[in-house]
Amino acid sequence: MTGTELAGRLLDDAAQVFRGHERAETWLRRHRERLAEPLRLAIVGPPQSGKSTLVNALIGEDVAPVVVDGAAGAPVWFQDGPRPSAQIFPAAWAGPMQRANGPGHTVAGPGVHAMGGVSRVVVDWPCRALRHTRLLDAAGVDGDGEVPADAMLYVTRHLGDDLTALEQVQSGRGVGALPVHVMVVLSRADETAAGRPDAILSARQIARRRRREPRVAALCQDVVAVSGQLALAGRSLREEEYAAVAAVAARPRADADAALLSTDRFLAAGFPEGLLRQFGLGGVRLAVTLVRSGARSRAALGAQLVRQSGLTELQASVSDLFTARRDALKARTALIALDRLLRAESRPQAAHLVAELDRLVAGAHEFRELRLLAALRAGRVTLPAELAVEARRLAGGEGTAHAERLGLPAESSPEQLWPVAEDAAGRWHQQTRAATSAAGRRAAEVVLRSCTAILNDLG
Amino acid sequence: MESWEAGPTAYAGPASPVRPGRTELGALAASGASASLWLDVLDATIRTCQEHGRTDLVSWLWQRRAQLLHPHLRVLVVGAAKQGKSQLINALINAPVCVVGEDRGTTVPTVVRHTEAPTAQLIVRAAPDTGWTPDAARQDSIPLALDRLADALTETVAVQPAATVERLYADVGVPRALLASGLQLIDTPPLPGLPAVAPAAVGRLRELATDGRADLVVFVCEAGRELSDAEVDVLADLARLFPSLVVAYTKTDYAAHWRRDLEASRMRLVQAGVPATVVPLSATLRARAVQTGDAALNGESGFPALISLLEATVAAKPDRLARATVGVLGRTVTERLAVTLRDDLDAQRAESETSHAVKRLHETQRRMDELRKCATRWQTRLSDEVGDLMSDIEHDLRERTRAVIARADETFTEADPARVWDEFEQWLREALLEVAQTSLGWLGDRAEWLARAVAAEFPADLGDVLPNWVPGVQGDASDRVTELESPPVERFTMTQKLFTGLRGSYGGVLMVGLVTSLTGMSLINPISLSGGAVFGGKSIREEGKSLLRRRQAVARATVRQHVDEIYVGLAKDAKDSVRRIQRALRDHFTAVTEDLQEAIIESLRSAKADAEREAAVRDGRARRTEQELIRLAGLQKQALGLLAGPG
Ligand SMILES: Nc1nc2c(ncn2[C@@H]2O[C@H](COP(=O)(O)OP(=O)(O)OP(=O)(O)O)[C@@H](O)[C@H]2O)c(=O)[nH]1
Ligand SMILES: Nc1nc2c(ncn2[C@@H]2O[C@H](COP(=O)(O)OP(=O)(O)OP(=O)(O)O)[C@@H](O)[C@H]2O)c(=O)[nH]1
Ligand SMILES: [Mg+2]
Ligand SMILES: [Mg+2]
Repeated sequence: MTGTELAGRLLDDAAQVFRGHERAETWLRRHRERLAEPLRLAIVGPPQSGKSTLVNALIGEDVAPVVVDGAAGAPVWFQDGPRPSAQIFPAAWAGPMQRANGPGHTVAGPGVHAMGGVSRVVVDWPCRALRHTRLLDAAGVDGDGEVPADAMLYVTRHLGDDLTALEQVQSGRGVGALPVHVMVVLSRADETAAGRPDAILSARQIARRRRREPRVAALCQDVVAVSGQLALAGRSLREEEYAAVAAVAARPRADADAALLSTDRFLAAGFPEGLLRQFGLGGVRLAVTLVRSGARSRAALGAQLVRQSGLTELQASVSDLFTARRDALKARTALIALDRLLRAESRPQAAHLVAELDRLVAGAHEFRELRLLAALRAGRVTLPAELAVEARRLAGGEGTAHAERLGLPAESSPEQLWPVAEDAAGRWHQQTRAATSAAGRRAAEVVLRSCTAILNDLG
Repeated sequence: MESWEAGPTAYAGPASPVRPGRTELGALAASGASASLWLDVLDATIRTCQEHGRTDLVSWLWQRRAQLLHPHLRVLVVGAAKQGKSQLINALINAPVCVVGEDRGTTVPTVVRHTEAPTAQLIVRAAPDTGWTPDAARQDSIPLALDRLADALTETVAVQPAATVERLYADVGVPRALLASGLQLIDTPPLPGLPAVAPAAVGRLRELATDGRADLVVFVCEAGRELSDAEVDVLADLARLFPSLVVAYTKTDYAAHWRRDLEASRMRLVQAGVPATVVPLSATLRARAVQTGDAALNGESGFPALISLLEATVAAKPDRLARATVGVLGRTVTERLAVTLRDDLDAQRAESETSHAVKRLHETQRRMDELRKCATRWQTRLSDEVGDLMSDIEHDLRERTRAVIARADETFTEADPARVWDEFEQWLREALLEVAQTSLGWLGDRAEWLARAVAAEFPADLGDVLPNWVPGVQGDASDRVTELESPPVERFTMTQKLFTGLRGSYGGVLMVGLVTSLTGMSLINPISLSGGAVFGGKSIREEGKSLLRRRQAVARATVRQHVDEIYVGLAKDAKDSVRRIQRALRDHFTAVTEDLQEAIIESLRSAKADAEREAAVRDGRARRTEQELIRLAGLQKQALGLLAGPG
């Protein structure tokens, strides 16, 4: 039985116990429904850190920010839908959006301005990436106070003061205690190192160093450097933009470099301002370098930009640590919600629920697997190369089905799976003794636990 | 102006001569005459703070005073994280002396100053609030490798015990003509909370400015955004301590529309009333210009403008800057003191409403009113009661004497007066004495009760107002009860003092009790009642009936007349007694009222005097406070004069 199924059953039981208690019932029903819905990923962080731009980079189009007339700063959810439109809560107003003068959209019109007290906006946008994941563009670490997100990208330019803010989000009990749902994004990476063409490279190095810092590691699954602006520029690159970059690259090197010294010089040299707006100076520098070194078409430049921007790495990280484990993360959200309900509304019949919840939470092996996967990615745990690959696979890093974990074909029978699993269990049992570091031993214990879980399930 | 010097921390070119007039002595000499004015104002401000008991301000102002007399210009570079503070200093002096980078930020303040040969050390100050000046007490000083200064600094700081971190600062000396003029640049760790929230940053910046002994603050904000609300708040707070601020708007090379944002930032500062010079800068362009010797690019970097601003400020320090600084300090300090005084004044005003003396005055006035009301009340009561008593006693006497007459009539319908006269006369005398005694005794009881009833009209809180005594019923009953023919010699006097020891004997006898005992009271005592039967036995005599009847009629008439006369006499005595009692009680209660009134008037007088004295003291204090406020305003005017002064 998977995490979501267990959580679903627990929610059903709870609904029985709380029958007649209207608020609790609604609350439980909503969480029950959410288990079947896409993963909710909140993009949060300090002001002007590039959250909306990152949302756009993930969607691949200029959508965010969506600003409701008279209610700037309201949290905005983005979900897949047949055509672009916005719903405003709690007024339950629905209608179209207009393109803003700057980036993003506005929702305006009679009735919108006078609405007041907007608690959340839900935007429909046709997009494949939104099919499995809904995105939230919000200011505070708390995200959307009403609808909790399952996972969170904490977007910041440099992880300084905000470490403290992040430390406060960890709810500190049971499932809430492990930061399996948090990823830190070092944003606007193109500005690093004064915006030289190697800016993103150094940003990536910084991210690598930071994700190994114990204090940071205790707060998140991963630290990734991204330039949302460049990623979006790459994904939505148009022919004329490519042509404009190519024109800069075609100039004699000395001329071009002099023009790329500053935005003033760039504009004075007669290059288009739109390019600067779309790419930023660092972005233009990088794009010119890429064209010079062989990106000879719109598609090639676009792809290169996306890769360089760090978006690809971020997507991979999100996919491995969040999307692939969406069941576990959604179950986690549901369990935290149930835990909160049981603590707020204690009643005798709920005793068995509390016990079962505690058991599930204590069992939370899936979350330990997630922590291990993240630690392996971040290099916080080092295992010999082939062991690291196996550990990743057994911990569900390539899929959570038994066959996937054991590296066997999907149609393998239990009889075929058993000996392989037994073998692996033996090997990792050995490893718990052989490990030289405490981190290594803990990692081996988690992998061993994954193996015995498979054996239990088969037997 | 092309003022850049090549080479990292190396000494380059001829030693930059320290300009004449810029040495310590020189600075003092140069300031000479004009210095006295701002010094006077500053000293007056310090004195005022002392008088106000603000030792905190005094020591802080002394520090500023010493700093103002010092020839060096210390420039504190502050701002949010990663705004390019450190890079700005490096670019300014063209030497990588401050730690720069996305990766590691500035963790300890770094003072960059001129030395003939490059030096660098990490200094552990003696206490967290010791200044970062070379002459301040230090606990330790660790030399840093000059060729890899940033790394050396980071490494050395990392191995210091956590407890000493806030006492650390780096002291870097480099040979630079720009610095030789006395300019010292101080790089600082980022201000907490900015650019989102102000409070933590405000506090930290005040500390930095004090510990750094700053003369000028350069606030750094990167281009690509406007100054945030929180940053404007921080600058507004700073403007209370420094006459002019510099906002370095950095990274202009990278931001596309920095001119627009810069203008918006300027507008925000103007709207917030913060006097600041906003200088657009690009450290990257400056570094590049220095590398390539490109004067045009150097111009574009904005640094020449910053350098001439700094140089002008160094030159202006002993005079214009010091004056303006004292002006701002004077204004801020006097404002702060005035706020305290005004609060004081408000508190005094509030106090006057609740003062003890005033409360007592109100209370006494209330008692006075009460007494006045009570005086009319008891007078009415007394006259009402006396009226009642008069008619009651009259009625009582009449009823009793009528009963005696009825007995006499009865007797002389049966008996022969000639035979029983002596016995009868004896009985009649006793009966009438009895009547007088009983009635007048009762009058005494009523008088006692009356005194209590009137006393009860006084408010209980005035204390005991009962008279010690009430005049007795005067008049001799036996005088009135004369012999009908030959009066008996035996005298019965009722003259006595009633109510003596009244207080002690009072046992809660109520009016009702008196009245019931009155109505149920036997008219003639039991012994006397048997009299009729005695006389009756002697009534049968052998005598002519008609003669007897006439004698009897004469006797009855004589007795009736006699008893009536006695009644009139007794009634007069009783009324006189009541009147006397009334007078005595009136005199007594009037005296009591007057005594009380006098006491109240006396305490009213003293309460008034107290309240007036208190008000006078308060007024005096308020006047002094107001005078002090006026004095402060004068001082402030002087300070503002310095701000507005020439040049
Ligand atoms: N150079 C650069 N600038 C960026 C990048 N992402 C965002 N910006 C700029 O940073 C500013 C803020 O970007 P947003 O995406 O609106 O940031 P946000 O966090 O949503 O801002 P708020 O919603 O106002 O808190 C804009 O001026 C963007 O152009 C980036 O990757 N590189
Ligand atoms: N493009 C550009 N980048 C700059 C400029 N000045 C600084 N930077 C970059 O901004 C980043 C931060 O610079 P620092 O000088 O370390 O900033 P800081 O304010 O001292 O940072 P903290 O000490 O951490 O608060 C570095 O990557 C610099 O390269 C500039 O003028 N132009
Ligand atoms: Mg936004
Ligand atoms: Mg710094």
